[in-house]
Amino acid sequence: MSAQVYLTDLHNQYVNESARIHQAFDATADGAAASQQRSALMDSVIIGLCNQLLPRELQHLNGVSIVGLGGYGRGLLLPHSDVDLLVVFDNAAISEKFTGPLGRVCQEMWDMKIKLRPTTRILQECSKLDRENVEFTISLLDCRLISGDPKLFATLHDKVIPELVHREWQPLVHLLSDLTRSRHQKYGNTIFHLEPNIKESPGGLRDHNAASWFALLAALEKQRAWPEQKSLFDASVQSDLHSSLDFLLSLRCFLHYRYGRDDNTLSWEAQDEAAARRIGAGNHKITAAGDWMRIYFKHARMIYSVANQYLDEVPPARSSLYQQFQRWRSRVSNADFSVVNGRIFLHQSSVTLTPDLIFRGFEFMARHGFKLARDTERRFEQALSAMADSELQSAGVWPHLRQILVATHASLALRSMHGLGLLKRIVPEYELIDSLVIRDFHHRYTVDEHSFLTIETLHKLKEPDSDWEKRYTEILAELEKPEVLYLALLLHDTGKGLPTGHHVQGSLQLAEETLQRLGVTPEEGEQVKFLIGGHLDMSAALRRDIFEVVTIRALAAKVGDPERLKMLCLLTFADISSVNPEAMTPWKAENLWQLYIATTNYLNRSVDEDRFHAASEAATLERISTLAHKRKDELQKFLEGLPQRYLRSHTPEQIVAHMEMTAHLRTHPVQTALNHTRDLYEFTIVTPDRPFLFSTIAGILSAWGMDIVKAGAFSNQEGIIVDTFYFKDRFRTLELNPSEHERFKRSVIQVLCGDDTLDRLMQGRATRKQGSVKINVETKLNFDNECSSHSTLLEVIAQDRPGLLHQITSRVAHAKCNLEVALIDTEGQMAIDVFYLTFEGAKLTEAQQEQLRQSIAEELN
Amino acid sequence: MTKLEAVIQSSKLESVKEALLEAGVEGMTVIEVRGHGRQKGHTEFYRGREYTVDLLPKIKLEMVLADEMVEKAVQTIIASSRTGKIGDGKIFLSRIDEAIRIRNEERGVAAL
Repeated sequence: MSAQVYLTDLHNQYVNESARIHQAFDATADGAAASQQRSALMDSVIIGLCNQLLPRELQHLNGVSIVGLGGYGRGLLLPHSDVDLLVVFDNAAISEKFTGPLGRVCQEMWDMKIKLRPTTRILQECSKLDRENVEFTISLLDCRLISGDPKLFATLHDKVIPELVHREWQPLVHLLSDLTRSRHQKYGNTIFHLEPNIKESPGGLRDHNAASWFALLAALEKQRAWPEQKSLFDASVQSDLHSSLDFLLSLRCFLHYRYGRDDNTLSWEAQDEAAARRIGAGNHKITAAGDWMRIYFKHARMIYSVANQYLDEVPPARSSLYQQFQRWRSRVSNADFSVVNGRIFLHQSSVTLTPDLIFRGFEFMARHGFKLARDTERRFEQALSAMADSELQSAGVWPHLRQILVATHASLALRSMHGLGLLKRIVPEYELIDSLVIRDFHHRYTVDEHSFLTIETLHKLKEPDSDWEKRYTEILAELEKPEVLYLALLLHDTGKGLPTGHHVQGSLQLAEETLQRLGVTPEEGEQVKFLIGGHLDMSAALRRDIFEVVTIRALAAKVGDPERLKMLCLLTFADISSVNPEAMTPWKAENLWQLYIATTNYLNRSVDEDRFHAASEAATLERISTLAHKRKDELQKFLEGLPQRYLRSHTPEQIVAHMEMTAHLRTHPVQTALNHTRDLYEFTIVTPDRPFLFSTIAGILSAWGMDIVKAGAFSNQEGIIVDTFYFKDRFRTLELNPSEHERFKRSVIQVLCGDDTLDRLMQGRATRKQGSVKINVETKLNFDNECSSHSTLLEVIAQDRPGLLHQITSRVAHAKCNLEVALIDTEGQMAIDVFYLTFEGAKLTEAQQEQLRQSIAEELN
Repeated sequence: MTKLEAVIQSSKLESVKEALLEAGVEGMTVIEVRGHGRQKGHTEFYRGREYTVDLLPKIKLEMVLADEMVEKAVQTIIASSRTGKIGDGKIFLSRIDEAIRIRNEERGVAAL
């Protein structure tokens, strides 16, 4: 047979056999079989071409080994993958003799449209590590003899490669680790992409390769011999990894045949088709592409987890730094858990795992940022599978979840909890959004991953990268209850798992049940529901003219108070940032910031205008009166004329308590209540208004050494004031002496009733020095006569110090101004006080404003 | 062929996009920009600090059209974005020498 006829015949055989393999795959969807058959086909093509095209005297291939590398070397050649071929020569002379003829073989393969990538090396060259081309050395780990000199190949396989690995193990492992980490980084360190690249994405085939290579390198380094394939991985993961590899091979085969090229993107259309054809689905029930994608993510999670385990075990390059790090890591171990090589182990291997201990493990993870060791994960999994839901709930979920959510590495812990199935046990709604793909042009990640990313985004704000991020960092630091925001972020998109199509409503509906089950307080629950219900409001406002009063007013009406606005702003920031890495641009961040400050200013400047009137607030009255034992008339009288801000900043329970205090004014004209909440004291006074009242109370608190952090002063139509002060007990007077609580309250009542004087109290006040000033705050006084129809607004920014509020308000009182509303806040060392003032029932004139400005400035300087 | 560049209020993006689609203009590039013409900036005071925005957020649309579509696109943009106030924006037109589709090297109007 002439050479040309042979080659034509070989070409046809190749095409026919390729088509047969394709058809067989279409029938069976068995990617492993298809890729093995393609490898065998390629072997026969190469051997056939060598036999036909090499001169007779060279056909023995003595001193030459033709070796498959990469996927081809592993015997798993995908339909449109490159064929990585290495030709090894014993020496340079042989290389010279064979290069030309073997070049003809390569040319023929290219003419057959085979994507051949040939490399040639002399044997000695294979024994050196080229740090610029570490991929070549790594690829040698998959070498397989196709044709040629078996003795030469045996030298390469059994001597050269093991010796190279043993000698260069550390740099090899580090370089492989760097390549893998940078690939993970490129894909956002997550497997949960809506359209993943099944080769390159985390959890894809590259990660399986990486895990295999790490295992091989470790075995070669220790034993200087090749390990058995079957025992390459730990027995606990071997079988699952094998299944995951089979799944990905089938999927990649499917994609190659579908696209007709080496394209590994699992697009939405490809997902639909793969689901319809049940690629790799086994016996799983598939009703939609989403069900099939869950199978994909299950396999990706397994591969990613194993790859990361190997990555974490790579020792750092510099030993001295490593030792220091190791010492630091050991120091964070506690009675329950120890940290070894960056992984959390149970301190006592035989300890019985209770729900409380498991939750504490995740709290530890969230605080310190370490992952669980495989052994710990296994033990947690086993323990959880034996626990009933009621046993889990009895541990008191919310206190634990709260600690996890507010810790810096919350997202790490939540992902781990989700992977082990614990999150679905305590928040069953997460079953709906587990690995859920929502087809959206903008979103890059699955719904659950997006939720975890929002929490991660906020925690990352603690170390801002840019000036515009710093602004949001400041707001985050001011939050009174950040756990409420984090919980809202965790739950805000659960509604996407419902078939209704209105995910906000769906999320709200699901949140009702979740919040009850978790055992959050009613107040916290209301905040969470507000955030979930309104989580698209600021995004919607951004699409309007953010400088228009109409836009600001509408947003302010929805939000109601500055604390909610802060949380909603941060939620919006996190939500947009987590859609995809490019979603939050400086342009958007700036607009969101402008919207936030304009709405905050509007809220603070419209307090006076927006008051409660029973005639138009029947629903609110009804809602609160259910707690007031039907004393609706009394409630109505109390609420009439109070600013809406008062209602928004107090719970119905607090409002009813204040109403009760008002009722007791008949017996005593000054009613007080003192409570300890978290790290602040809350002191409420209800009494008829009179001149100097607010400044006197502020003075009394100052005389007792209390540091006022926040306050709200409101009055109703009947002239009854409800003032609430939140303060820190600087000298721990109340904390260390519970009996002082009553004396404190009595002292306030005595001064307000005239039985004692403020001057006398002030004389005896504690004079311990104020702490060091970290930031100098310049005093600023701004008057605004436009924002309210009947009051003048005064905003005072000043360096916070003991007695500041008394100093300011006493000057206001001396100027005979009436304090209609006061909103007092502190941000670090900056006091931010807003007062609505009137003079004889009218706004202050410019002259009066100037006089008051000078008086206050003089007092403060 | 003509290149149309329009700087509009960012709040008008959705209505302009929909109107252009209805008018038969399917391709456009959208860029987030900042700028001002005669429109003054905006200042807010927050916590004693002044935040001045003198370059206001706008949206820039770019599209290349067959000459016979230009006037229709111009009128569509004006109708869907005009408020009558300063700050509505501007439209610029310039000639394009050639357009080429990368996928199949089609040239001229066929590439649009």
